Amino acid sequence: MQHEVREEGETLVVALAGEIDLEHSPKAREVLLECVGRSRPILVDLSGVEYIDSSGVASLVEALQQAKARGQSLALASVSASALRVLELARLDKVFTIHASVAEGLGG
Amino acid sequence: MSDRSGEGAVTAGTEAAELNPLVEKAPVGEATDLPRAFALLAEMTRRFADSLEVTPALVAALESIAAQLGAEGGSLWLRDDQAGEAGEIVCEASVGPADITGLRLSIEEGIVGRCVRENACQSVFDTAKDPAFASSVDKASGIRTRSILCAPMPGSDGAIGAVELINRREGDGCFSAGDLHVLEVLASSAALALSNARMATAAAEHRRVQRELELAAEIQRALLPEAGAVDAPIHGENVPARTVSGDFFDYLELSDGRISFCLGDVSGKGMNAALLMAKTASLYRCLTKTIPSPGRLLAVINDELAETSSRGMFVTMAAGVYDPASGQVVLANAGHEPPLFRSTDGGFRGIPALEPPLGVIQGLLPPEGYPETTIDLAGGRLFVFSDGLTEAIGADGEQIGSEGLEALFDEYQEDSIADCVAAVIRRVGDLEHRDDLTLLGLEQRAGSTSEERAEALWDHRCPAEAKQLAGIRKDLRGALAAAGLDDTRAADFVTAIDEACQNVVRHAYADAPAGDMQVTLLRCGSEWTLLLRDWAPPVDPSCLDAGRDFDDLRPGGLGTRFMKELMDEVSFDSPPAGGGNRLRLVKRLS
Repeated sequence: MQHEVREEGETLVVALAGEIDLEHSPKAREVLLECVGRSRPILVDLSGVEYIDSSGVASLVEALQQAKARGQSLALASVSASALRVLELARLDKVFTIHASVAEGLGG
Repeated sequence: MSDRSGEGAVTAGTEAAELNPLVEKAPVGEATDLPRAFALLAEMTRRFADSLEVTPALVAALESIAAQLGAEGGSLWLRDDQAGEAGEIVCEASVGPADITGLRLSIEEGIVGRCVRENACQSVFDTAKDPAFASSVDKASGIRTRSILCAPMPGSDGAIGAVELINRREGDGCFSAGDLHVLEVLASSAALALSNARMATAAAEHRRVQRELELAAEIQRALLPEAGAVDAPIHGENVPARTVSGDFFDYLELSDGRISFCLGDVSGKGMNAALLMAKTASLYRCLTKTIPSPGRLLAVINDELAETSSRGMFVTMAAGVYDPASGQVVLANAGHEPPLFRSTDGGFRGIPALEPPLGVIQGLLPPEGYPETTIDLAGGRLFVFSDGLTEAIGADGEQIGSEGLEALFDEYQEDSIADCVAAVIRRVGDLEHRDDLTLLGLEQRAGSTSEERAEALWDHRCPAEAKQLAGIRKDLRGALAAAGLDDTRAADFVTAIDEACQNVVRHAYADAPAGDMQVTLLRCGSEWTLLLRDWAPPVDPSCLDAGRDFDDLRPGGLGTRFMKELMDEVSFDSPPAGGGNRLRLVKRLS
């Protein structure tokens, strides 16, 4: 798994790529929670995600829960078909705000 | 006179055999000149034997005959039964001052007509006194015919023609009884030569047609499916009554692992039936891949055949889809001999046709098509066959019927389905039969569980570590793709087994270092099974209940929910020998 955090104005864009599975989801969790700690709006770019499992989804959920608790926003962008399938399986596609692209996420 | 010297010349001429020596010779008037007549006969026969073209040989023969018997002119006539009302005779060869080749007469006309009609020799001394004489020929030729000698060319069914000579040059201008005798023999010889030539032509044509039929038969055989593996659940055989067959069968595995099969019988025999068979077989093979319902498939084929077929031809056909995972067959029957289901208790059940054959009327059926019957094989066998089998004649002189076939199926019940089908076809083939013999057998072996019949597609054992998961996912994706599963479904399988492996990695081995886990992918028809084996202490099967509550987002609980969402069955097997646990994930694709 690869990750990259960049600033787009006020928003932190967290780009995750590769396979977010049991081996790598702890790293994803760490990156996400660190961003939540910076008290800024977060947009998670999933366009490069080839595979995500329940542990990866759990990391996203934990980050969302913490962000909400702090009154921050956390949205997803560019969710690949395979990642969306897993979110749908978990019935979480309605819980997350999902933007078609990073640009749309930043504009909205 | 010249008779004696002529006799010597005949012998010499026959040996030289270059030109016809007889044309040059003086005529004979008496039947006593037999040696010369025999020489002429020998010469004619040799000419016919040498020549592939019959007409030049007939012209040469006629020249010889006319010269031999001293006639002013001669003509050879052949019967043409197709022409005119009563049939006609046509002049095939002509010698003398006028060429009347191609002239036609009604068989009712003239001395030659009478000769052919009555298959009897005619000798007319003065044509003016015979009312049958057809003066039209004289008008056409410009010759005045005074006397006629005419002998039939005998065939197996009356005269096939006649040889006629006119106006003997010498003496009183009339032919003698001896002349008639010679002409009769020569005409018979010409008739034989002509018959031979006709048979040779017919035989050449027959050989050509036979070669084409053999080619067609080869193409037809290519349309039949190749015999499967020895333990394949389905096997068919076809023995054509002629070179080409009006029967056909086919089967193929669909992308979901089910087996589609059909057996049909085209009305009629020979080339027309074979062509319609090829068309129907092609339609079946093409359409069954996209129309999984046999009833609807038959309806579509019916409409297509009815739209284009002609001459009142039609096709009876039984088509079905067999799911090896469930043992169920869905069968539809369009006017075909009822297929027989033999259950393990030895009882037979026929599946009769409720609707007519294919290709008769378009749009005959509702959109759902021909009615379907579902049969649970439950270890039994299903036989589909053409009526050539039931109509074979048994030792008692009666058709063996379905009862006779049932007895044969019973006899080979212990053999594999392929051996059983081959043996029954051989046994029926030994009986008197007229029709094509085609038999298709399908079986689900008694007592075999789906796992025993399943094919192991992939197997992998490795330490239960998180870093192994990426490799497992990659290899499993490859195995699923190789088995023909589409990417979307393969992704679901991968997710399910990945979640299962996670549980083993996280929870199974409490003490480091981790033990092994083993993933196996099995397939039985449309049923796909993933087994995950570990060697850890037995788990409480109720742990699988954790994912039941959809609001439960605890790690682990979510993974179990994924498995249950993605697969039809998630369960632990009873503890395997050697300890540990075996989780079973099953998905049935339809």
